[in-house]
Amino acid sequence: MAAQYKTIHPVKYYRDFLAHDLRPDGRSPDKTRNVTVNVNSISTADGSSTVRIGNTTVICGIKAELGKPKPDEPECGFMVPNVELPPLCSPLFRPGPPSEEAQAMTCFVSQATSDMVDLKELCVSTDNLAWVLHIDMICLDYDGCVQDACLIALSAALRTVKLPKVEYDAETKLPSVSLDERADLHVKSSPVSTSFAVFDDEIILSDPTGEEENLSSAKLSVVTDGEVILSVHKPGGSALSETQLQDCISVAKDRANLVNELINVALSSVDR
Amino acid sequence: MPTDNRRIQGPEISTPYCVFGSSTENEDEDGCFKSTDPLSSTRKDGRALLEHRKIYMKTGVVSQAKGSAYIELNNTKVICSVFDPREIPNRVEYSQHGELFCVLKFAPFSCTTRRSHQQDAEEKELSLNLKRALEPAVCRHEFPNFQVDIYVLILESDGGSLAASITCAGLALADAHVPMYDLVTAASLGVAGDVLMKDPSEEEEKLCSQHFERSNLNHGLITVSLMGAHTQITQVWQTGSMTTTCVSESLTHLIQSCEETYPIAQRCLVKSVVDTISKKKVPEQS
Amino acid sequence: MDQETLVCVPGQRLSIADKNHLSGRGTYERLGYIYATLAGVVKIEKQDKASLIEVRSSNEQSIVPAPGDIVTAKVTIVKQRFCKCIIKCIGDTVLSRPYRGILRKEDVRATEKDKVEMIKCFRPGDIILARVLPMTEVHSYQLSTAEDELGVVIADSETGTSMVPISWTEMQCPKTHIKELRKVAKVIPERLGSHIVI
Repeated sequence: MAAQYKTIHPVKYYRDFLAHDLRPDGRSPDKTRNVTVNVNSISTADGSSTVRIGNTTVICGIKAELGKPKPDEPECGFMVPNVELPPLCSPLFRPGPPSEEAQAMTCFVSQATSDMVDLKELCVSTDNLAWVLHIDMICLDYDGCVQDACLIALSAALRTVKLPKVEYDAETKLPSVSLDERADLHVKSSPVSTSFAVFDDEIILSDPTGEEENLSSAKLSVVTDGEVILSVHKPGGSALSETQLQDCISVAKDRANLVNELINVALSSVDR
Repeated sequence: MPTDNRRIQGPEISTPYCVFGSSTENEDEDGCFKSTDPLSSTRKDGRALLEHRKIYMKTGVVSQAKGSAYIELNNTKVICSVFDPREIPNRVEYSQHGELFCVLKFAPFSCTTRRSHQQDAEEKELSLNLKRALEPAVCRHEFPNFQVDIYVLILESDGGSLAASITCAGLALADAHVPMYDLVTAASLGVAGDVLMKDPSEEEEKLCSQHFERSNLNHGLITVSLMGAHTQITQVWQTGSMTTTCVSESLTHLIQSCEETYPIAQRCLVKSVVDTISKKKVPEQS
Repeated sequence: MDQETLVCVPGQRLSIADKNHLSGRGTYERLGYIYATLAGVVKIEKQDKASLIEVRSSNEQSIVPAPGDIVTAKVTIVKQRFCKCIIKCIGDTVLSRPYRGILRKEDVRATEKDKVEMIKCFRPGDIILARVLPMTEVHSYQLSTAEDELGVVIADSETGTSMVPISWTEMQCPKTHIKELRKVAKVIPERLGSHIVI
């Protein structure tokens, strides 16, 4: 009977729960879901991670290649992050080119991670050769806060990348790669994003599920590294008061510290 | 190269670093097997020639899908999800049988060389083979005029991708409660000269598909999918060139592999049924 | 459950097929045996002398609406000659993928068919109970509400509150007391949205 009521009147179904300060999955409105981080699960990638937030699952794989730097930035390498929302992860998506949502997510992730790696460190020889990091984040299960999972996955995967030593021979114009000498990538910051949904213009739900995102009247994402706020993204929707925003930011900060700790635990548990 | 403005693009040309690579480790160039006696030789990963890799299977991995499954053969990792029947788009006439819509995709980071985001010819061929392998097993008359969407993503490929995809998709279909005549399991086998290798890895697959210039030796790959309860083959896919005796010998081995995988798939499915039943019982009692 | 739970998977042989063992839902017959087509639980139902063997899936089965089924649908568009709806449930089963349905003016009620005005019977957002008619078009299901038990079951007034049925053509908003016209279904509250036994 509950299932029928839910499909027919999802908003009322949620209101009934929230009247008791509970969500249908048993969480209180400000509680976030469990996060699990797993690294180096894909051996064909140069760096990889799998992140789960509740049901939401994102796998991130990094492939390093060598290319020629852009003429206007001869000293910089490349980071090419892309978020993929394949039809596999939810019935909402069809096969084909990335949907607008996937493009928006790619944009969000690339902005949030733009200062994680100094692109100049990715350069091997000015104007001749630089590293290209193809970072692909694929959503395997779409149940809300996919952009948060993508960001965590990217952050964890970047830390597993070990690039081999490359030397560029200016005469033969060929690089030589020594596969045995590998060095960690220098990752400067550790941004973590936490999303919120506003329900019925007043109740704020932390870390919403896919259903909650659908029913919400506004969304908010806070990117922070635990200390500094890196970005607050609120695309339209219903208005928020200042205190509500402050509450969200403090939840986001706590979670950022927790997630970064999780990433470190995952990294140290793997034989490196 | 057509430009793709929906994704962030890297430079136009970039090369995998392995091309320029040099390693101090002594790589064994020619061989997955060293000894001349094929029966006693072991492979790089320590398996005997006719030994299948260990299989891990799990259903219900994607919460948003009607049914889903994950399968792991050592380094080959495949995930599949199946959705509810939906109307066949752009179809005017009435079709008696439901259709299967299969899309198989390699993740960009799944192979040694990076894969493109767009579906390439190999992926299209594999999708078609997957569809052919599953069609005979599904009771398609039960959903006329509808199609069931099956999406397969290969997360990491280390040989036997098609076989793993078929087994995975078969399991996901059963998990989605799509009526089926039987479960489908698949297996692959590589032939190089007079050596038969069960469940070859990527490296071994390459060796088997090489053309031996010196002689007309048997070489190639075969993938077979089977409905275990009735021992009916739903699809055979063979490449390379081999004699008929070699093919029939291979088939015997392949059927045996499929039959070995069948109870694992059954057990995995029984476990998921038992789990859902016990989950349902708990709220009833409380 | 009175009998022991028997779990089966597709392709599993369940029993011999003969006069005393009949193949029911979720099974098929092949060369004198009954096999399962679904993963789920085996149910054996006694019918006179014979027993009917069925397989019930542990979760919602993948089903599509069939003619004669009672469905729960949400009205999306109301036009002069018909209204379009989205089918959400079949009987008790909640669909995870909704199907499109169409309800034509002639099928709204059994009597005085030519006097029906669509806007006086349905509004977008209403939840209706309807019966599926035999399929004539490929892409949408034809629905009918030409029975007393079928029609609008849940409707919101303009202020957004649920209205209470007061007759078989009218519903009233409990807040503003404004009456609105609908083709109201005769439902007993406890059985709201549940399968109607005919």
